[in-house]
Amino acid sequence: MRQFLAILRVNLSGAGQRIGSVLTIIIGVACAVGVLVSMLAMGVGARRQAMENVRDDRVTLTSVGARDDQSSIPRDEAVVARDLPGIRKGADGEPLVVFESLVSMEAGRRVTGTRIFFPLVGTTANFTGHQPEIRFTDGRVFQPGLHELIASNACARQFVGFGIGDRRPIRGTDWTVVGRFDEGHSLQCKVYTDVETLLSAFNRNTYNVASVMLQSSSGYAAFRAALQANPALHLEARREREGAEEEFKGLQGILDFASYFVGTIMAIGATLGAVNSLYAIVDSRRRELGTLRAIGFGSGAIVASILCESLLFALPGALLGAALAWLFFNGLSASPFGYNFQLAVTPSLGGIGIVWALAMGLAGGLLPALRAARLPVATAIRAA
Amino acid sequence: MRFLPLFWSGIWRKPGRTVLIFFQVSVAFALFGMLQGLKTGVDHVVAAARGDLLIVHSRLSYLAESLPSGLAEQIQAVPGVKLVVPVEIFGAHYQKPTEGLGVVAVGLVEDWASAFTYTISPDYLAAFQGLRTGALVRDTLAQKYAWKIGDRIPLMSNTAQMSGSTNWAFDIVGTFSDNDVGAGRYFILINLAYLEEARALGKGTVQHFNVAISDARQAVMVADEIDRRFANSSRETKSESLHELAQSEMQSIGDMNFLIRAIVAAALAALLIATATMMIQSVRERSLELAVLKAVGFTDRAVFLLILVEALLVCVAAAACGLALATFVLPRAASFIVGLSMPRIVVAVGLGLAVLVALISASIPAALAARLKVATALVNG
Repeated sequence: MRQFLAILRVNLSGAGQRIGSVLTIIIGVACAVGVLVSMLAMGVGARRQAMENVRDDRVTLTSVGARDDQSSIPRDEAVVARDLPGIRKGADGEPLVVFESLVSMEAGRRVTGTRIFFPLVGTTANFTGHQPEIRFTDGRVFQPGLHELIASNACARQFVGFGIGDRRPIRGTDWTVVGRFDEGHSLQCKVYTDVETLLSAFNRNTYNVASVMLQSSSGYAAFRAALQANPALHLEARREREGAEEEFKGLQGILDFASYFVGTIMAIGATLGAVNSLYAIVDSRRRELGTLRAIGFGSGAIVASILCESLLFALPGALLGAALAWLFFNGLSASPFGYNFQLAVTPSLGGIGIVWALAMGLAGGLLPALRAARLPVATAIRAA
Repeated sequence: MRFLPLFWSGIWRKPGRTVLIFFQVSVAFALFGMLQGLKTGVDHVVAAARGDLLIVHSRLSYLAESLPSGLAEQIQAVPGVKLVVPVEIFGAHYQKPTEGLGVVAVGLVEDWASAFTYTISPDYLAAFQGLRTGALVRDTLAQKYAWKIGDRIPLMSNTAQMSGSTNWAFDIVGTFSDNDVGAGRYFILINLAYLEEARALGKGTVQHFNVAISDARQAVMVADEIDRRFANSSRETKSESLHELAQSEMQSIGDMNFLIRAIVAAALAALLIATATMMIQSVRERSLELAVLKAVGFTDRAVFLLILVEALLVCVAAAACGLALATFVLPRAASFIVGLSMPRIVVAVGLGLAVLVALISASIPAALAARLKVATALVNG
């Protein structure tokens, strides 16, 4: 151990003279870590947004085996479902259940004018009690029976035609935007309207999904059992969290794959650079290392000291890379694959970056360390 | 040419170092090739999308709205229109709700296939025409479920039959491939006449029309004329060419531009520092040899060029290697984009960047070598 520390001190004291090689390691690692962290920040940001408004006491009902707009809940079942046990009551004493109908609508993008789709959700009038995360910033709630829309502020930022009082033609009728709201920090555009008005406009007779607020999140099992025991209902229940996870899985897969794919390639490049630099460092110190061996330093201590040196150069690289990623990308809006979210560079991503960097340092230091330990003492001492 | 052995021995003076640098440059340019290739490749795919094929759908919504199938005759009457095929689309799933696929019902008018991007063999076309419950299956889908010609496939959907059942069954009569970027990989074609007869709701309406026009250059004019004919009616239409549609489909990848540029810049910056340091190190170690060269009559200029050419050879060869790898990997890694291949321009730009990296990183070591004092180098060496 004392040997190891002594060599390490000598190693590091010489770093100033080999500034080029040291910089190569630090900058190579910084770039690799920076790229990995900023790409992973997309996945973290997207996940944060997808999970932000999820509540454990909300449960989604769909027809058995179906999802979202494939699901269909007939009105007679809807009436029965409202009276299931364990559902929380709103301020008006009515159960907090909303029935939704989903329609994919088209909008023009503000900057480019290209077409993009957003969900138009028909919902029941008590939805504000059921979704407390909705906060009105302007205007009012839609009136049941009227062709009125309320839109999240994200819509107005991205698309044209979502100002208060703007009219949007849907099914041959003009629908007026009467309110604007924020849904947590979500950047995803969402538009709500009265479900009955939407159903009649689209000649539909069944709801797509229902969402139920339970008295407590622990009541889920009992609620599920009651639902299954009821012969009049052909519905299945899922926690809102499960649904959100399932929906998010696809995007997460793509983003994670892309991040680690690019991150790995960058890491290989940085490791190769580190190997080369450390070889150069070892080569330039042949005489010194040979002398150490000659006066009795063990080869284990030499290997450990070179590895440690490599790790110590990788570490500031990791910190620099993570810091740059945070500086440039944290909070940046991205919209890959039609999703919209903010990148989030979190401390845990910094942790991943550091682990990644240490792996590069270790892999890069191994071969040069072995070469240093195997130097034939006699020739090394005589070397120029 | 007679200096080639000199370059060669310089490059291989320390084989380990050169191989490492070579790999590092290859890796960086493989990454550049894949990222930039994805971006530029998508632009090319969009540019190649058929401009002579219009999709006429309801102005109100692309997916949620339908048009009366009777509009076909009026569209056919627009000058420049060659062929109008009514198309209905609905979603279905096979065995499990997670196994979704698209069902595209086409009106089997004469030569209908020319108004689509599909490649279908004549035998299959004839068989499809001959069996009302027949289905042509996208090759990727047939592969996924190991479906064979002659199989009868049961599907579940939201579209009800006259009997009230939402289960459908179709007989596979053939397979086809598709080169449209926006179409997805998992869908089947069925006979619209059969669907019309069997379905309970929505009879007499279709989701859109595929319209082949005689001249792609007049796509915008023909599209505008079609839309004008239905303006202010209860069934307003919107006509777009496949080219325009591909453009908006691929928009999302265009949004990644900033990220792609940042990654490429980071990779090249790291590379620049690494190669520059290695070259400086190499020149220092070789000061004796370089001094000898100068002593036997090489000018400063020649030594400068020697170092520069060495760097150029390694960088460009390594970059070519990396770009070749990217060319091979790109279409396989990004198989979700149909028809993607490495654009030549990306390879050219990549090689140009390699030259740039070599020149910049070798300029300091080359200058060091050129300024080397023969006497001191020989003494110290």
